[in-house]
Amino acid sequence: MNSLLPTFLQIPGLLMVFGALLVPLLPHAIRQIWMLAIIAVSVWLCWGIAPGVHMTTQLAGLDLILVRADAITRPFALFFHIAAALNVIYAMHENVRTTATAGLAYAGAAIAALFAGDFITLFIYWELTAFTSVFLILISRSERSFAAAMRYLLMQVSSGVILLAGAVILWHSGQGLNVQALDASTLAGGLILLAFGIKAAFPFVNGWLQDAYPEASVTGTVMLSAFTTKLAIYMLALCFAGTEILIWIGAVMTLFPVFFAVIENDLRRVLTFSLNSQLGFMVVGVGIGSELAINGTVSHAFASTIYKALLFMSMGAVLHRTGTAKASELGGLWKRMPLTMIFCIIGAVSISSFPLFSGFVTKSLTIGSVAKEGYFVVWMILIFASVGALENSGLKIPYFSFFGRDRKFEVKEAPLSMLIAMAIAAGLCIAIGVAPQLLYGILPYAVEYNAWEAGHVLGEMQLLLFAILAFAFLVARGLYPPQIDSTVLNTDWLLRRLLPRLTMAIARPILSVWFTALQHAKKLVMDGLYIGERASQQTGLVSGVASTGAAAGIFLAVFALLLILLFSM
Amino acid sequence: MSHSSEKPDVSPAAKRLLIALGMICFGLIGLEFIIHRHAYFALEGQPMFFVAYGFVAFIMVVVGGVGLRKLVMRAPDYYEAGNDDE
Repeated sequence: MNSLLPTFLQIPGLLMVFGALLVPLLPHAIRQIWMLAIIAVSVWLCWGIAPGVHMTTQLAGLDLILVRADAITRPFALFFHIAAALNVIYAMHENVRTTATAGLAYAGAAIAALFAGDFITLFIYWELTAFTSVFLILISRSERSFAAAMRYLLMQVSSGVILLAGAVILWHSGQGLNVQALDASTLAGGLILLAFGIKAAFPFVNGWLQDAYPEASVTGTVMLSAFTTKLAIYMLALCFAGTEILIWIGAVMTLFPVFFAVIENDLRRVLTFSLNSQLGFMVVGVGIGSELAINGTVSHAFASTIYKALLFMSMGAVLHRTGTAKASELGGLWKRMPLTMIFCIIGAVSISSFPLFSGFVTKSLTIGSVAKEGYFVVWMILIFASVGALENSGLKIPYFSFFGRDRKFEVKEAPLSMLIAMAIAAGLCIAIGVAPQLLYGILPYAVEYNAWEAGHVLGEMQLLLFAILAFAFLVARGLYPPQIDSTVLNTDWLLRRLLPRLTMAIARPILSVWFTALQHAKKLVMDGLYIGERASQQTGLVSGVASTGAAAGIFLAVFALLLILLFSM
Repeated sequence: MSHSSEKPDVSPAAKRLLIALGMICFGLIGLEFIIHRHAYFALEGQPMFFVAYGFVAFIMVVVGGVGLRKLVMRAPDYYEAGNDDE
């Protein structure tokens, strides 16, 4: 650890969290330099942390591990910092202090969480990521975004509370509080898995992702796409590697969002469905738990964060210039925003796993590990979901925004800062694809899988190009479904519609009884007051005022009750 | 709900692109007879497996999406307007 910094700032990520406090006070240009410098120092600090326990403390008799690293911590910390730096560069054109402050603090909290060695410390950072990131949604300043932010916060905080409950039960069972491999079939393990599952957008608890992210600002959505879900994947890999149920949960995760993305009209929401599907691949890798699979999960998380950020950035640039991200309103932008189009296509071919791009060399590890372990059905699902990723992000996103029907937008190319961030992300997608050993070198285990085997490349090209042929066939024949401005119901419907209705259905009879009882009680009280008033007037009890008479009556009743209690014991 | 007609005018450039795509696909089928594909599963080892699966899976994704639309598509202001489910 570095002795030049105060102890608390040596905790990875906290430098960024506390550095964010200065951000609102700095002028625009200096603020950008400050944020990039803080990120640079932070990544330098993190890079030097070898696997092991590095900082502990005691709090209320509990042994807390403030800094601990695992074999997978370094690659996660590295790409979290890269994402944080890309976010700063991407947002340089705008002078919004809230976004800059929240974005830096959010990234810092997520990085700090990576190094948390016990569940109490993790809980603190877990909630800090929620409370810092919610501002990225609130900044849109609309009723819709406010409501989405509150639902987002509800889910995130619930996840934290469940994590804390699991940690307490774990501690009570004598297993300590350390972040460790857990058994999902125990109560503590099950609760902690659920907490991670909410943040990783498991099926049925995924609605917050599609609900909240597209409601954030242009730059906010890019920031949100990087950290929360990947942090959950990281924790799953630490605590539940080799848990078989995750293979099936992950397989379902890869599959169902691709159908929703086909009919979703908001292209940023399409990307959130696609992100959900990509997370499924990582969850499958965690469930397999072999060295190859964990390598696949870590490398896929790395590459996915970059190419997803690139796709969100390109759609953010489109939204920034045109004012819409709806497929039904976009088209023909390639003439006006050619550079954005090129960067978008690089992100699209990367997520689609075309050879020479990042997705190919990372997704292959996970799919290869599934095949090696003999999970045929899961393997078929993952190949199917790969075609789904091509449809959703590889074709639909670039086609409807830059090609398709020309909507005659008279707009300029994206701002320079956006273009620079997209260029860096695109460069990383190509660099990882062309020279995968750069990424393989920082993975937790030695990579013994050859993604470049000729037969594998041929199979991948056949899969992708014949899927594109199907797309061309459907479009040329007018059979591709039209993009319709609509609301696509998702699992957030459970929270937004079903739960209130169920609550009302249960509460209505109770409320009815309650209000009837209240009416009767009110009548009784009024009658009592009337009688009391008359009695006090007639007998001169205390005063002639009803309220004073009633108060005296209540006082006497309480006093009588006390006497009865006292003498009956 | 405003619909967007998506049948585009196929430009000469797009036509050329489609022809090129067709030729590449044809070439990829030819390579199947030259390059050996290592297979983990029997089905994977069948000739043209990825050719067929890529094409069919794409159609299934789209058809599945269209089917899902009947179940989950609502008006754009569904939540804001507080409408009942249709």
